[in-house]
Amino acid sequence: MSGNSILRKDQLEVSLHNEKKLIEEGVLKEDNPLDVSDNFRRLCEASRRGDLKVCQEMVQEGVNINAKDQYDYTPLILASLCGHYETVQLLLESGALCERDTFQGERCLYNALNDRIRNLLLSYDYSKSTDPLQPLASHLTSLLYRTQPKTSDITVTGSTENDSFNLHKFILAARSPYFKKKLDAAPETTTWKLPSSIPPPSFGIALKHLYLGELPRELGGGPGTGFTDSEVLAGVDRISKHLEIKTLSELILDNSDRRLARQRRQDEIQIGGSQIGAWFQDNVMRHAITTLTSKADDVKWDKNNGVFADILLRADEDEDEEEEDATIALISEQSKNTNVLGIPLAGSARPSRSPSRTRSARKSMLFPCHKAMLIRSEYFMTMFDSAFKEAQNTPHLQIVPIDCSPEVLKIVLTFFYTEKADFGLDLAIDVLFAADMLFLEKLKTKAAVVISTLGNGTATGMQTEDQREDLDINIYDILHAAWTTRVQRLEEFAARYIAYRLEQYIDDPAFAEIVKESASRINARQETDSIEILDDIRFYLSERFRLRFEDTGFDEAMAAEEAQLEQAVAEDGKQQPLPVWGTEMPADEGVDMTSPPREPESETEVPSDSLMTEGVIRTLDGEIAGDEFEQDAMNYQILLGKIDALLDKLKLDA
Amino acid sequence: MSGRARGGKIRAPRRALTKDDVDCESVWEVLHRAFREIHARNASQLSFEELFRNAYKLVLKKKGEFLFENVKSLEISILDTDVKSRIVDLATPSLLLSGSSETSSVEKRTAGERFISALTKSYQDYSIEVGMITDVLMYMDRISTAEGRKPSIFTIALGLFRERILRAAVSEELSMSILDLLEMTLLDMIALERSGEMIDRPLIKASCRMLENLYETITEEESTKLYLTSFEPKYLDASRDYYRNEGQLLLQEADATTFCSQASRRLKEESERCQQSLSRVTEPKIIAVIEKELIAAHIAEVINLPGTGIRAMITNDKIDDLRNLYDLVHRIDQRLKPLKDAVHNLVLEVGEEINKSALQTASEKQQPKAPEKKEPGKGPPPKPLNQQTVAAVNWVEEVLKLKAKYDKLWERAFRCDGVMEKSLEISFQDFINGNSRAPEFVSLFLDQYLKSNGKDKTEAEVDALLDSGVTLLQYLADKDILESYYHKHMAKRLLMNKTISRDVERSMLSKMKVKLGNQFTVKMEGLLKDVELSENLTKQYKDYAAKLEAKKSSKVDLEMHVLTMTVWPIFTSESELRSCVYPAEVAQVKESFEKFYLGKHTGRKLTWMHHMGEATMRATFKKDGQAVTYEVAVPTFCMMVLMLFNDHEKLTFDEIQQLTNIPTEQLIRTMQSVAVAPKTRLLKKEPMSRDVNPTDEFSHNPDFKHQFRKFKVALVSEQSNKVENAEERKETQKKADDQRGLLVDAAVVRIMKARKSLTHQQLMTETIQILSSRFQPEVAMIKKKIETLIDREYLERGPDPANPSYNYLA
Repeated sequence: MSGNSILRKDQLEVSLHNEKKLIEEGVLKEDNPLDVSDNFRRLCEASRRGDLKVCQEMVQEGVNINAKDQYDYTPLILASLCGHYETVQLLLESGALCERDTFQGERCLYNALNDRIRNLLLSYDYSKSTDPLQPLASHLTSLLYRTQPKTSDITVTGSTENDSFNLHKFILAARSPYFKKKLDAAPETTTWKLPSSIPPPSFGIALKHLYLGELPRELGGGPGTGFTDSEVLAGVDRISKHLEIKTLSELILDNSDRRLARQRRQDEIQIGGSQIGAWFQDNVMRHAITTLTSKADDVKWDKNNGVFADILLRADEDEDEEEEDATIALISEQSKNTNVLGIPLAGSARPSRSPSRTRSARKSMLFPCHKAMLIRSEYFMTMFDSAFKEAQNTPHLQIVPIDCSPEVLKIVLTFFYTEKADFGLDLAIDVLFAADMLFLEKLKTKAAVVISTLGNGTATGMQTEDQREDLDINIYDILHAAWTTRVQRLEEFAARYIAYRLEQYIDDPAFAEIVKESASRINARQETDSIEILDDIRFYLSERFRLRFEDTGFDEAMAAEEAQLEQAVAEDGKQQPLPVWGTEMPADEGVDMTSPPREPESETEVPSDSLMTEGVIRTLDGEIAGDEFEQDAMNYQILLGKIDALLDKLKLDA
Repeated sequence: MSGRARGGKIRAPRRALTKDDVDCESVWEVLHRAFREIHARNASQLSFEELFRNAYKLVLKKKGEFLFENVKSLEISILDTDVKSRIVDLATPSLLLSGSSETSSVEKRTAGERFISALTKSYQDYSIEVGMITDVLMYMDRISTAEGRKPSIFTIALGLFRERILRAAVSEELSMSILDLLEMTLLDMIALERSGEMIDRPLIKASCRMLENLYETITEEESTKLYLTSFEPKYLDASRDYYRNEGQLLLQEADATTFCSQASRRLKEESERCQQSLSRVTEPKIIAVIEKELIAAHIAEVINLPGTGIRAMITNDKIDDLRNLYDLVHRIDQRLKPLKDAVHNLVLEVGEEINKSALQTASEKQQPKAPEKKEPGKGPPPKPLNQQTVAAVNWVEEVLKLKAKYDKLWERAFRCDGVMEKSLEISFQDFINGNSRAPEFVSLFLDQYLKSNGKDKTEAEVDALLDSGVTLLQYLADKDILESYYHKHMAKRLLMNKTISRDVERSMLSKMKVKLGNQFTVKMEGLLKDVELSENLTKQYKDYAAKLEAKKSSKVDLEMHVLTMTVWPIFTSESELRSCVYPAEVAQVKESFEKFYLGKHTGRKLTWMHHMGEATMRATFKKDGQAVTYEVAVPTFCMMVLMLFNDHEKLTFDEIQQLTNIPTEQLIRTMQSVAVAPKTRLLKKEPMSRDVNPTDEFSHNPDFKHQFRKFKVALVSEQSNKVENAEERKETQKKADDQRGLLVDAAVVRIMKARKSLTHQQLMTETIQILSSRFQPEVAMIKKKIETLIDREYLERGPDPANPSYNYLA
């Protein structure tokens, strides 16, 4: 900590006291509220143990990860205190706050078990871990100024030509009850006249608010605009009543206290986000229609419709999904008789049993969407900005097929509209591919996180996991997906996954295939180039057996011991400490698979951590080992040897 | 996939990866057809989604390389066939034959325009089309650029355009490439525009933008834009030739004015061209070309062009031309050397002229004096200005006029340029100090207007004149000489009560103080103080006298100035201090004042300066029974003489001298003024002649008549009260020299005291530096002074005679 910013103890106490008082008075919101729910307890427990899977599950459950338990611990503090790097990373990525100069933040930093975790915490300063909704908010705000491609469907005009605003009905309807009523009554409206009593700058401010923008510090009145600040303010007051957005004028007045303003804004974005989310669920999702794939392209939606959609996205169900319930209500032909607004009436969508309920009845889902939101993806941005068919004006809404299953498309759309992405392991890979195709980096990361956390089982190298059922994951597919979609994180995950279960995979022919493939991924591979996957596996293998050795400073303690031991076993000149990760095993060091591991070498490798307990102490070769430490060391050597043998077999040099 | 057998919760990706057997060829066929459509500008029915998906699939199946190469060869074939043919057709023979005169320029021009527009059009179209293709291939681009392997397909396509179109030969027979032809045509059009024809600027702009968007290599470095590597150098070369020619032509036939305006017009044109037709990047470069080829090469010659050069411009006040000229010179040389030198020479020349004429006027003074003095008979003659004063005033006015002119030029033509200001200052300094009598002239000039006889001018005018006079002060090198002149002149003004007002004097002093520093005005301020003190003293004395009055009444009023001797530059030669015999009444008052003053301040000595005094007396002349009483203001000596005639009818010169004890020389002048001067002949002189001899007799003049009741008898002066004769001037000079000697001494001692030890050279420079604010010290004088200081053991010489230095002795 830089010296001059440190508060003296008494000053710190005063500021903490003041903060507490403010919180009690309800002016400020507690950053870390007490949470005694069961789920939160489970989250804390998982953070303590480093159980990524449970953590991810709890996060997806919607537990407040910034809450604290009855001992004032937040999950983040627990995870960093107990030294679970991956867990800390997951928590931070999911929005856990570690803000400098706050009580809990400093506590977290101070408690971090090692420098690696501390640096990770520091790299997630407040600026990075902003409100998770921030990207959504800034996209909405940018819509106010974007002219290309055209996404607006309503124009609000002021008294003069210059004061016109190009807006989006669905945002207005979602955010303002007034507009909702108006537009529900007449969805085909394309212009709206601003009441003359309201100065355009005031409406501009109100719009900023509706579009989740940061409210301006200046009111924008003054010379040249024709309005004074107070007139603008009064106008804001009127318009906020008019549009039934009551918090607006409060917000504008309370711009002074930065922390307060920040919290208010966060709240406001929260509200806005959930309003849009709710609207999305109520309209886009509810009006999604399911039809036979063969007929999907014939669906005609009028341009003027109750959900204000300007594009239809189509997703076809998988052909080979026979188990899918074929009795899903199909939209019959007549259901395409739309009401006046162009919305197929849900009521009239009578399920018509398809005469041939065979597997051939492939179905598609159509989602009415808004270009304004879709252009968050560069894919759609390019599509709507191009001269291709999709960007042309047609009498009815265009139908754009998206190459994924309806469930995946739902997730993608939910992400577009709400910034939320909660899905299970079963869809994760599909989402990963869809996100990759649509250039949605964030969603891609999210999918990778889901896979690497939920798929991992418990994180550490507990031997118990061998008994656990973790066959629910095909690591080869994941690795392929990681390569295809270029997600480093998943590659690492796969390597770790394999490393911790190398016994199962090492003899699998598919594993050899994978290694070969990994080797071929490097263009113009040189003799001496390493094979990425094997390097990674070696690294995690050493991690698995050495555990937290490096971090804890035991190395030094061990070094002295080692020296003694070395004297004792001086007859073995070739004795080497174990290869550090990343370095190559010298070829002549290759361990003969059949020869029993040398005792002295295993002595040097004794990990102090005795988490591993198992009844029978036998190596993988079936040799009896002295104790579990020796067993580990021997196993390690055996596995390394097996890798080398594999390389020999594949005629790969590494 | 074998792994799928494990099933379980996570599912393998279903779409893209499942079908291993994507048929590359058929997928490519779809894309291929679509791309052809795009190039045929027929894309509106193509589905982006479908194309994207196909391309995506190929890439996902690791067929990116295949796709990339196919697209590349497709683009090549499109460029080679469709695009190229469109352009080559327009490269008509008339366009290709650049030099031949047979093709009429009109024909060539239209052909050129057609060619350029076709080329730019196909470039624009092509880049839009390729842009669409790039959009479709977005996923491929993303992957390959992310892995840093390949440039984007867009870049590749533009590179192909460059290679296949621009670099292609126009036709089989000719080696000229399309790019060459384009550049040639562009240069031709620009040449046309330079010669005053209208050309299609947007067209040129469009083609330049094309060249700016194309790069030499696929790495797209900023510096390898075709515009920069190919077109711009050619353009600059062509321009260089063009302006070199134009410069010579202009010099041959045109005058400086035309040259300047043409050059500035060219500058404007070129920067406009860069903005409107070419690229902004070129602007500084082309401007540099003009500066070098057109301006720098010829400007010196232009400035000195006889008849139209700078001399003519300044003489005829051609402000605009001068400003043009200045701007041009300023562009090529911030120090403005050519202009500066020319102006310097001009100023010096004119200044010399002024100096010469002033000195001439001044030296004419002896001869015309007599007729001028005698002549005025008609009307009340304006007090004839002394020839010296005329010369001085003329000189100063000329100088001021010159300065005003150049100030105006500086402000309006030279844009208040600092360098010019400095140079003008130096020029003025040079020629003003070329006039050895400049300090005297300036002082005389100021004196002239500080005196009441500038009355025909309003106060504001006088003020302005004085102000400008003060501005001249700073040009003077010998400020100490000015100081002594001004001091003397001011003393006289104050004593003679000739000054307009003391406030004016004071404000004048403060102006000088601003320009020349405190030290300069200390003495002058002493003068003013004395005058004020004296006024008080007179009042006090009057009170004092009033008390005495009760006892005995005196008809004499006394008004006096008590002056500090050291402050006032009044000659105090022995002869003048000789005590004179006052008439009894006056003597009485004098004694009483002495008593009063010495009673007030003990230990002081009062010396009466008779020659400075003045008396007002009432004289009654009886003629034809009529008694006319005049009130006459006369100098003290006159008063003394006239009083004698209260008691005597007739006196000879000798007698008068005996009675009054006035020094001869003074008495002669006194007698001349009361008996010879035609207007104030209060006494009759026998024999009547101009010269006064010791034996001349004087008597009361009963016929005296004067048109006013109140008048003044002026002392026939020693030529003038203002101007010195040669001798006095020498004296002033000597005094100034003495003064300078002291200053030099002081400066040297001060420097040495601070430094203890210095080399000769350093001491000299430091001394000169310190003194130059007062005057321009002569090296010889400083050397002499150092010698004397060594003699007086303030300093000693350093030990090393080869490297002369001095040590301070304290």
